[in-house]
Amino acid sequence: MEAVGQNKMRTTSDDGIEVGLVNKVLSQSFVDGPGNRAVVFLQGCNFNCLYCHNPYMINLCNHCGECVAQCPQNALTLKSGCVTWNSDACVECDRCIEICPHNSSPQVRTMSPKDLWEDIEPIATFLSGVTMSGGEACQQTPFVREFFSEVRDKSNLNTLIQTNGDLLLEEIEMLLPVTDWFMVDLKAFNSTAHQQLTGRTNHRVLETIRFLARHKKLFQVRQVIVPGFNNSESQATEMAEHLMAIDPNITLTFLRFRPHGARGEAKTWKAPSDEIMDRLVEAAKKTGLQHVNRSI
Amino acid sequence: MTKHDTTIYSKFNPYEDFQQGLTSDKLESYRTSVLETLKSSGLILRQKRDNLALGAICTLPYPQVSDRARELIEDETFCLISEGAAPYHPRYVAPDYQKLLSQGSEFLELAPATDLYEATAHLLTAYYYLPSEPVFLGRIDALLEPFIDTVDEKTAAHVLRSFWLMADRLNPNAFSHANIGPEDTKIGRLLLDIDRELKTLTNLTLRYDPDITPDSFALQAVANTLEVTKPYFLNHPSMVEAWGEDYVTASCYNTMPLGGGIYTLVRYNFKVAMAHGDGSIDNYLDRVIPETVERFVEVVNSRIRFLVEETEWFESNFWVQEGLLYRDRFTAYAGVYGLAEAVNELLVNAGNSAARFGNNPTANELAERIVVRFGEELEKHPGAYCGGKDGKITYHAQVGISSDIDVSPATRIPSGEEPELYAHLAAEAPLHRAIDGGVSTVIEFDQTAKENPQAVLDIIQAAHGMGIRALSIGSSNSEFIRVSGWLIRRSDLERAKDEKALRHSSSYLGAGFFDTKPTHLHRIARKV
Repeated sequence: MEAVGQNKMRTTSDDGIEVGLVNKVLSQSFVDGPGNRAVVFLQGCNFNCLYCHNPYMINLCNHCGECVAQCPQNALTLKSGCVTWNSDACVECDRCIEICPHNSSPQVRTMSPKDLWEDIEPIATFLSGVTMSGGEACQQTPFVREFFSEVRDKSNLNTLIQTNGDLLLEEIEMLLPVTDWFMVDLKAFNSTAHQQLTGRTNHRVLETIRFLARHKKLFQVRQVIVPGFNNSESQATEMAEHLMAIDPNITLTFLRFRPHGARGEAKTWKAPSDEIMDRLVEAAKKTGLQHVNRSI
Repeated sequence: MTKHDTTIYSKFNPYEDFQQGLTSDKLESYRTSVLETLKSSGLILRQKRDNLALGAICTLPYPQVSDRARELIEDETFCLISEGAAPYHPRYVAPDYQKLLSQGSEFLELAPATDLYEATAHLLTAYYYLPSEPVFLGRIDALLEPFIDTVDEKTAAHVLRSFWLMADRLNPNAFSHANIGPEDTKIGRLLLDIDRELKTLTNLTLRYDPDITPDSFALQAVANTLEVTKPYFLNHPSMVEAWGEDYVTASCYNTMPLGGGIYTLVRYNFKVAMAHGDGSIDNYLDRVIPETVERFVEVVNSRIRFLVEETEWFESNFWVQEGLLYRDRFTAYAGVYGLAEAVNELLVNAGNSAARFGNNPTANELAERIVVRFGEELEKHPGAYCGGKDGKITYHAQVGISSDIDVSPATRIPSGEEPELYAHLAAEAPLHRAIDGGVSTVIEFDQTAKENPQAVLDIIQAAHGMGIRALSIGSSNSEFIRVSGWLIRRSDLERAKDEKALRHSSSYLGAGFFDTKPTHLHRIARKV
C-alpha cells in the first residue's frame, strides 16, 4: 500500500478494501472506556484545538520531506514524491514529529481492517474491548465500521468510539450497528468558547450527544477544563442542565488540562487546581445529574 | 571439596560443625553468639527466644548425609534457610480448624463453638498453640460464615474486626496467611472491608474462580489489592487440578494439603548449581540437574526422617491425636531460586549474551526447559513420608531471603528487567504451570487502575487463563511493598535501619532485602 498523498484522506485501496490511516495502537489503557482496552489512534482531525495534546495527528502528511534528512536512524526516505517510513529502523525518538511544519507525522501505517485486527488479536485475551480514537476517529467512518465488524466477527470484545462529536447523523447511523458506545468530548458548552478553542461551533456536537443518548449509546460526555475558556461554574451548571434535560443518567467527566504535551501558547497555560475541578463537579451535580466525576 | 573455611560457612553460625556439632574449641564462639542475642536492642523477647532456640539447635550435628550431599550444602547449591541443624517441628502446618470448631479440643479444654464470639476465640487460642510458626490462619470465610447469623450484622463486623486485628498483633509476622473464596460470603466481604481499613500485615489470598466468584466480589478484592497489596489472586481451578479441593495457601504463597503441612523447606540455587558442570546448556540440563537433584532429595529426606523418626513428632502432640493434622497429608518443599541468573549465564557461555530471561524468546524457552527438567527429576525420587503429595517432595518457587545477593527470587524475571505487562505474564506463565507448590508473579499498576478495577480483573482473568497460578498486585504508591512474597510497610523499613524494635520479624528480612536489592524499591511503575 503506497503512502497517502496530499491532504486528502484515502479510504479504499486499489482492490476496493477500506483502509485506515493508523498513527498508533496502544495495547493497554485503563482510561478509554470500560475495562482494559486497546486504543487505536487514527490520523487526521477536523478540529484544530488550541490545547491539542497530539497535534501531530491533526493533518495527513503532505510529503514535503522536511523530516527525511532529520531522522537520526535514516528510517525515512523520499521516493517518487512520497515520504516512506521504515518502522523496523525507527526507534521512536519522534524527532520527525517535533520538526514537522504541518502538524502531521510520517509514522502512519495504512492498514486494512484485517491487518489491524491481526495486530490486536494476540492480546485480545487481556482486553474488555477496543477504542477508536485519534485524531478524530470519525474522519474515517467507513474504515471504523469495517474494522468493528471484523472485531465483532472474531471476538467478544466490545467497541467504543472516542469522538469530538462534530458528525453528521448519517455517519453515526452507519456506525451504530457495530459500536457499543461513544464517548463524546464536548470541548466547551458555550458556543463562543467552543469556537475559540476548536475553530468550529458546537451545534453538531450537541446534536450528536442528544442522538446517541436517545439510542442508549452514549458512554460518557467528557470535557477538558481549560482556565479562561470553560472553567466557570455557571458554564458547568448550564451544560449539566442541558444534559439533565436529555437524560439524568448521562455520565459527565471533567478532565484536567495539562500544559505538558501542548503546543504554542497553550504550553504557558496553567492546569486547573483541585479546588476548581471540585467546584465544577459540585455545580454539575446540583442540577440533579446523577454521574459526575473528574480525573485525578 | 571438604575445606571448611569461613567463606563457605558464611550462612552458618561460626560455631556450627556439620558432622560433629558443637566442639569444645568453639564453645566461646557459641557463648558470644548467645550474649549478642541477649544484648540486642533491636529484638523483642519473643524474637530473642527464637534466636536462642535456633542457636541451641545448631550445636547439634546435622542428620547424616553422603559426603557429596554435604558438599552441595556447604557450597550453597542447597540452602537450609535458617532451619538450623535439624527440624524439631514441621516448618508449616495447615490444621483442620473446621474440626476444631465443630468438635472442640480436649487438650485445649474447648467445647464446640456455638457462636461468632466463641468461634473467633477458639481460632485465636489455636493459633497460640500452633506447632509451627503461625503461617496458616484458615479459610476464614468457610470457618466463620456458619456463625455469622448468631449475632446481629453490626456486632458481626465488630467481632470480626477485633479478631482480625488480634490475629495480626498476636502473630506479628507477614508470613501469617488467611484464605477466602472462591464462594462469595458475608464474611469474605466483611473481611475485605476490615482488611482495607486496618492495613494489617497478615497475608490474604482470594481463591479465584471466575465461574464461582461473582465479579462484584472479585472487584472488591481488586480495589483492596490496589490499596493494601492483598489479597493475592490465586488461580483456584489450576490449584484444584493439582491438589484437589482440600489445599490451602500459607506463608508467602505456599501450597499444601489442608490437615497436613510441610516438614521442611530446602532451597535449590539454580545459579550456584552451574558450578557443578561445564557451563553448557546440555550439560546443565542432562547432568547437573539430575545429579544434584538426587542429592537434594537425600538432604530433604534426612531432615524429614529426623523429624518423624528421631523426634517422633507425630507420636506426641494433640494436633495429631485430635485429628487436626494427619501425617499422611504432609510433604516437603524443594524451593528453587536464582533461575534468571542461571539462564542468562548459560546463554552467555553459549555465545548468546544478548538473550536475557524475560526479554528474549530463546532465554524464556531455556527458563522453561530448566524448570520443567528440575520437576521431572524431582518426580523420580520418593520423598520420605510424603503422603501429602503422592509420596513426592513438592516443587516450590522460593522467594528469597535477605542474604541472597545477585540471585533473583524464585523463577522470576529480575526486578527492574521485567518486559511490558503482557510479555511479562507470558514469560512466567509456563513456569507457573510447571510448579504447583507455590509460585507467584508480582505486578503493579499506576493510579488509573483505582478508577477502573474491571481493567485489572481483565488482566487477572487473562493471566490465569495462560496458566499463571498466583498474582500479587500492587499500586505504585501503596503504603505496602511486596518483598518477594511477603509484605512490609514502607515506614517499618526506615525504622529497621534505625535499629528500633519491630514486632514484625519479617520486616527484618525485608530491610536486609532492600540493602542487597536496591532496585526493588524503584520498581518501574507500569504506565497504562
